This record gives sequence, structure tokens and C-alpha cells, in this order.
Amino acid sequence: MASSQTLTRYVARRILLLLVALVAVSLVIFLAIRVLPGDVAVVMAGTDASPAQVSALRAQLGLDEPLWRQYVAWIGGVLQGDFGTALVSGQSVAAIVADRASITFPLILAGLMIALALGVPLGCAAAVTTRKRARGIYQAVSIVGGAVPALWAGLLLIMLFGRGTGLVGVFPTQGFPQNGWHSFGAAMLSLVLPAVTVGIVVGASMMRYTRSSLIEVASSDVIAMAMACGMTRTSAMIRVGLRLALPQLVSVIGLTFAEMITGVMVIENLFALPGIGTGLVTDIGNRDLVAVQSELLMLAALFLLIGIVVDVLHKVLDPRLGEDHD
Amino acid sequence: MALECEGLSIDIGGTSVVRDVSLSVGDGERVGLIGSSGSGKSMIVRSVMGLLPPTAHVSGSVRLHGNELAGLDDASMSLLRGSAIGMVFQNPQNALNPVLTVAQQIELPLRLHYDLSGGERRARVLRMLGKVGLPESFADRSVMALSGGQQQRVGIATALVTSPRMIIADEPTTALDATTQRQIVDLLRELVDELGASMLFITHDFAVLSRATTRCYVLHEGRIVESGSTDGILDHPRTTYAKTLVEAAKALSLHVEEGNGDE
Amino acid sequence: MTNRSRSVYARKRSPWRSIGIVMRSVWARGTGKFSLIVLAIWLVVSLVSLFWTPHSLWATDGYHVWSSPSRAHWLGTDGTGADIASWLMAGAGVDLLIAVLTVVVALAIGLLLTACMVARSTVLSRGSVVLIDALISIPTILVALMLAVPFGASVGVIVAACGLSYGLNMARVCRPQALRVANSSFVESARHSGVGAWRVFMRHVVPNIRSVMMVQLSLSAGTAVLAEAGLTYLGVGVPSGVPSWGHSLATSAKFITVYPLTVVWIGGCVTIAVIALNLLGDALRDASDPLTNPALRQVDYGA
Repeated sequence: MASSQTLTRYVARRILLLLVALVAVSLVIFLAIRVLPGDVAVVMAGTDASPAQVSALRAQLGLDEPLWRQYVAWIGGVLQGDFGTALVSGQSVAAIVADRASITFPLILAGLMIALALGVPLGCAAAVTTRKRARGIYQAVSIVGGAVPALWAGLLLIMLFGRGTGLVGVFPTQGFPQNGWHSFGAAMLSLVLPAVTVGIVVGASMMRYTRSSLIEVASSDVIAMAMACGMTRTSAMIRVGLRLALPQLVSVIGLTFAEMITGVMVIENLFALPGIGTGLVTDIGNRDLVAVQSELLMLAALFLLIGIVVDVLHKVLDPRLGEDHD
Repeated sequence: MALECEGLSIDIGGTSVVRDVSLSVGDGERVGLIGSSGSGKSMIVRSVMGLLPPTAHVSGSVRLHGNELAGLDDASMSLLRGSAIGMVFQNPQNALNPVLTVAQQIELPLRLHYDLSGGERRARVLRMLGKVGLPESFADRSVMALSGGQQQRVGIATALVTSPRMIIADEPTTALDATTQRQIVDLLRELVDELGASMLFITHDFAVLSRATTRCYVLHEGRIVESGSTDGILDHPRTTYAKTLVEAAKALSLHVEEGNGDE
Repeated sequence: MTNRSRSVYARKRSPWRSIGIVMRSVWARGTGKFSLIVLAIWLVVSLVSLFWTPHSLWATDGYHVWSSPSRAHWLGTDGTGADIASWLMAGAGVDLLIAVLTVVVALAIGLLLTACMVARSTVLSRGSVVLIDALISIPTILVALMLAVPFGASVGVIVAACGLSYGLNMARVCRPQALRVANSSFVESARHSGVGAWRVFMRHVVPNIRSVMMVQLSLSAGTAVLAEAGLTYLGVGVPSGVPSWGHSLATSAKFITVYPLTVVWIGGCVTIAVIALNLLGDALRDASDPLTNPALRQVDYGA
């Protein structure tokens, strides 16, 4: 077992690394927007703005200042919780993102739950089964499931269950209730199809990873010994094998989480949910660069943080660490 | 007879690893199975235990105390494993469940086969710890926190906690250093005799074998090439293969110590 | 034990001959045959679409917008009256290009990072591990969005974002194997006899991580196609006006109320192509492993 001291040191190192990475990412984002060909203010104000409007905007955004001043002003604000003000709506970026997150996070969470509920048992079954036919079917499910574009999965579900277009039209396919979570039932209902779509797409890869990490431990003597103590192969695989594969699975879930976000953004768009993904794409379309730079930074920070949590969990869960790892 | 194999053959992925092996272990007898690595000895004990991967194809007959095991499904086999047959593994570091404590590991067969209260199980585990020479304070340590020799003592305690009448030891000393090897072999022999159980002891090392068993089979490329009393084969090996194994064993201090004392 | 059997690669004499054996062995497997056939059709369709499509991509038929499939328009027409089947064909070429370019970029980045990780210099090896750990959790789409802000939607953005992400991933997956080889005795002795670091890497390390790499790369190609669809739909992938499967899928999304089956055909095409790429990875791995493919062993020991 990794001692608590080495663990603390590891966490400290990772957090230090996180800060370095954040500075680097913020610089990349900042420069990506500033090196935009042409005048940022002109781009943001749009083609039909008068020169007076452009220069007003330039002054308002502090674009006359040298680059490093602008960067320091931005980061200084971020450190105090001020992520800037969106140009289009005039609201603070933090408030807008919080609003959008109230749709995206429940969607991701529900999608992840569905993915786990589908992927882990199916992966176990695929690893445990001894029947050739069953193995072939599980294999086919995971291969096909892993190759389906999120957009297509969503479209197919709309075709099957979407209200108005579907064969069994029961679920709404467009938008989120006007007053958000205040109409709880409607809000839940509008997340059903999107969450199932995310769950199916992610569940397929979860299934594949569960199966392969279980098969990896299946030949270990720990399983043989659990069987020698009186377990059946199936129960040894599930009761002992799954626990042994857990560190591996946690890492994989973390990586899946990062990949999942593409699907989530696509699905938010498809189902017209005003979440973080839809919002970010809209802001980019509106050339609302103040909002875009802070939103990108927040997302990058979120994923770097998830990366740390996953790696630390992996270390905590792995009882053999330090003995035969790297 | 405690254990009888007749015409046992094993195929894995189209490769024949064990061919027409017949062997027997009498009640209360300690019998050895010796061969170099890859000779198929581990496959034999794993097929007796029902631990081979599902892709393996086994034919022939295996009888435990007169009851046929060949053809039993995994569920029926699991009722025997850990109650009628106990098994000690080669490398405890790879076989003990790393997430368990010593007590949790040892009591696993009890949990799976008997309906005991927590207190009864605990008492049984502590008694077992005493028998294998580990202090009671080890009970709540992680199995990973122990040395190799201590881990193998936990492995032995786990195999014997339900007092099975048949013990299978699959190279229980290979992963250990020479001094610990002897301690473990002596401990195993002592406990098996005390229990009145039978033992099938697998090794590639004659020096260890002579200490642990009275009779043995020599396995070469999946077939039994020689059998007889351990001391007899050690003194007069008939086949060239047995001779090589004996030569190798004589180079080891364990045997020399028993024979001449010095050198 | 593994090392001994793997080091067989290091003594390989004729790369072309073993590629031939590997491909034949891929063909001998059911899944391998399926993926090779699909990939061949994909390639042929892409090449044909450069010279001929059933209708010109730009021939818009104002009288027949959103029309159902007919003999003239196999999959119907879109909102401008353009032929959906023609766009799907042309999209095959663009997606093939994206998949190939992504593999090249991912391979370059992955090899570079792997080389750094097994380098003697601690700064390089530690630094690259730290870099990978830090960057691996940034999703592909975030990189694509960052790039799309200054450069706009383009094929280059997709390739750069996917290549970077998958290259990082490949380096991370290859690391244990690469380290094992780099620390092995035969590499040690090669170094002592004065063989340069880069040569040691290309001669000894790369052949040993080749099968892991091939699986990763073919998975990357499949994921790149999926990423293209997602990014294009979001407006940060292939620019509008350029055919791609993402474009076709996005079109079919609007088609859902007109003729839903078009959705099924287009998505089905993309899915089958991605399945073929993923299966190719598995088949290549099995076929290129001397432990499971006896034909390869003869080449390696022969001569």
C-alpha cells in the first residue's frame, strides 16, 4: 500500500504541475485569440460596425494596452473570481457558465451512470462467458457500439422515441424548459434521450475496457487462489477480479470522461440544450472572445483537475503500488 | 485412495501438454510430482482443482476419495475446493488477494463453506496463525505488508483452515530463499501429518522433494517417466532425465546438509 | 521471457517480406477480411469521387429540395437541391485524407514523445512524462476549439487536434514496453558499442513497440473519423462547402422529418468504416505477433 506520505508528496507534485499546466494553457488560449489575423476589436464588433464603435470596444476591452498587461489583467480577474463580461448578453461569464453547467453536469452525470450500468455488467459478462456464441455476440456489441458516431446515435434515438418524429414518440427532443429546473419533471424528461445517447456511446467503450481489464486479471493466481478457496470462476472474477481491475477501470473512466465531452457537446447541440457545449460553440460563432477565453480556461482547468483526481484514485486503489509498477 | 488420476490428458489451444498420466496418493501419504518447468506438472494439479482456463480440454479420470471429479461443472467443483482439497500456491505474492488483511484471507474458505459466527471464525483464524508460526498481531495487517516467507505461511493457513483431507502444494517453496524454503517445507509436512491428510507436492527440486515426500513421480514432457520411493529414485535414478534432476539437486546445500553434513 | 520472444523483431531481415506475411495473415481472418474489403471499397470510392460523382456537387436543383430518394437521387437531395449521395461519396475522400493525416501526425508526435521518455537525459525523460500526464486529460475537442478560434474551421484543425491527442495517448500506452526494451541488456550493449541514441531507438525500441503502435494508430484513424463528424457538426471541423461525412450527417439530421431512412444509410456508412478501422487494429496486432503467427517466426529466424 502506498504510504500516506508518498501519496501526499505525489498529490503535491501533481497540484504544482497543474498550476504550471494552467499557466501554459492560459497563455495558449490568450495568444490564440490575440494572434487572430486582423484586429481583434474589428473581428468582435462585426463587419457593419462604425470605426467609432470599434475604437470604443477597443478601449473597453483594454486592447490598446501591451499584450502582457492584458494577460495580467485577465488572469488577475480570474484569480479574484472575475471571468469577465460577455459582450452579447452583458452578463458576467461566471454566471452564464454556472447557468449552463446546471444542464451539462446533470447530463454528463446521468450519461455516466447509464454508461456504467450498461458497460460494467456487459463487460463482466463478456469476460466471464465460456460459450463461444455468447462471446461473439458481446464482441459484436462492443465493436459496433464503439464505432457509432454520437450524432448518429442521437438521431436514431430521436427516430425511435422522439416526440413527433419517433415510432414510439414519447420524449421531447428539442430544448430545455424555459424556467429550467423549476419545472423539474419537464427538465428531467428533456434530458432522457440526450443522457441515454451519451450513455450508449460511452457505455460501449466502458464495456470494452471492463472486459479487457478483467481478462487481464483472469489468468492471475489471485483468481486461481480465490477459486481454490471455494469460489466458482464467475464469482471469483466478479468478486475478486473486478476489485483488482478497479484501479485500471478508474483510469479508463477518467480518460473516457475527457473523450465523452465531444459527444456531450454534439448531443447538446442536437437536442438544443443550452449547456456548456452549445454555449461555447455559440460564443465562438458570435466572436464573443472575452467569454470564449474564460470558458476555455475553465474547461481546461476542470479536465486537468479530473486528471489528477483519477490518477490519485488509481494510486489509492492499487494495493500493489510501489512493488511492481514502473 | 485419497486421489487417483487415470489416463489424464490435457490439451490447451490444440497443444497437448499432459499425456496419459496416471498417479495415486494414498490416505495420509505425501507424494511428490517432480519435473522441470514446462513439464506439465502445474497443469495436472490445476486440472484436479478445476482451475484450468475454460479453453483447456481434459480427458481421463480423476477420483477424490473414490468420487469421480472428471466432468463435474464449476459449481460442483467449487463445493470441494477449499473444503475437501486445499491448495498452496507457488508465489504467494501473486496469489494472495492484495486488498485483504491476513485474517480476511485466511477465513475466506470458512466463509465460503461454513456458516460460522464472526467470533468463531476469528478464533479459528488466530489458532491457524499460531499453527503456522505467525503472531496473532498479524491478523489485521495487509497481506502485502508481509515478507515472502510470512506470506507463504498465510497461504498454508488458508489452505488448511478448513482441515481438508487432501492438500495440493504447487511448488510452494520456489519463490523463497533457501533457509525459508526448508522452514516452509517442514511446516507443511508437520501440519499435513498432524491433520492426517494426504498431500500431492509439486516441485522441480529433488532436494526439497526428499524432505517433503516419501514417494514420487517424475514427469517429463507431459508423461510420467519414472516413479517409486523418493529416496530410491534419489539414490538410483533409472532414466537419464531423472539423473539430471538428481544431479542438479545434489549441487544444492539442502540435500548435502542431510547427507554428509559439510562440503 | 517476453523479452526474448519480442527481441526476435530486432533480428528481422526483410521488412517487405514480413509485411506481406502480416497482410496475408490479416486476410486469413474473418474480421481482417471484412476490414480490408471495406477499406478497399472506401479507397476506390474516394478515388472515383475525385473524377466522377452521380451529380456534380455544385449542381443545385431548386425545384427538388429535400426530396426523397429516387432513381436520379439515390439518397435524396438537401436544402439546396444538391445530391446527397454525391456528397457522401466525396466526403469519403476527405475523411480518408483526415484519417491518414491524423495517423501520420499522431505517429510523429507519439514517436517523438516515446523517444524522449526512453532518452538517457533525465530532463527529457522526466519532462516528457510530466508533459504527457498533464496534457492527456485535455479533451480533443478543447484543443480543436482553441485552434478553431484563430484559424477557423479547417481540415488542418481536426488533424492537428486529433494528432496531438492520439499521439499523447500512443506515447502513454507504449511507455512500459518501450522502457523495458530501453533498459534491456541488448540495448545496453548496443549503446556501449557506440551506436547512436536515435539509431538505437529506431532499430531496437520501435520494432518492439510496433504492434502496440499499430493497434493505437488504427484506433486513432477510426476515432479521427468520429471526431470529424462531431467537430464538423459543431462548426469547428471541415468548413461548410467542403464535403465530409460530418457534413452529410449534419445534413441528414435535418432530413429526419422528410425521409428518416437517409439518416440510417449515412450513419451506417460512417459506422462501418470506423468498425473496419478498429478491427484492422486487432487483426494487425494478432498477425504481427510472432507468438501467435508462426509464419512470421520463420522469416525472423531464417536466412
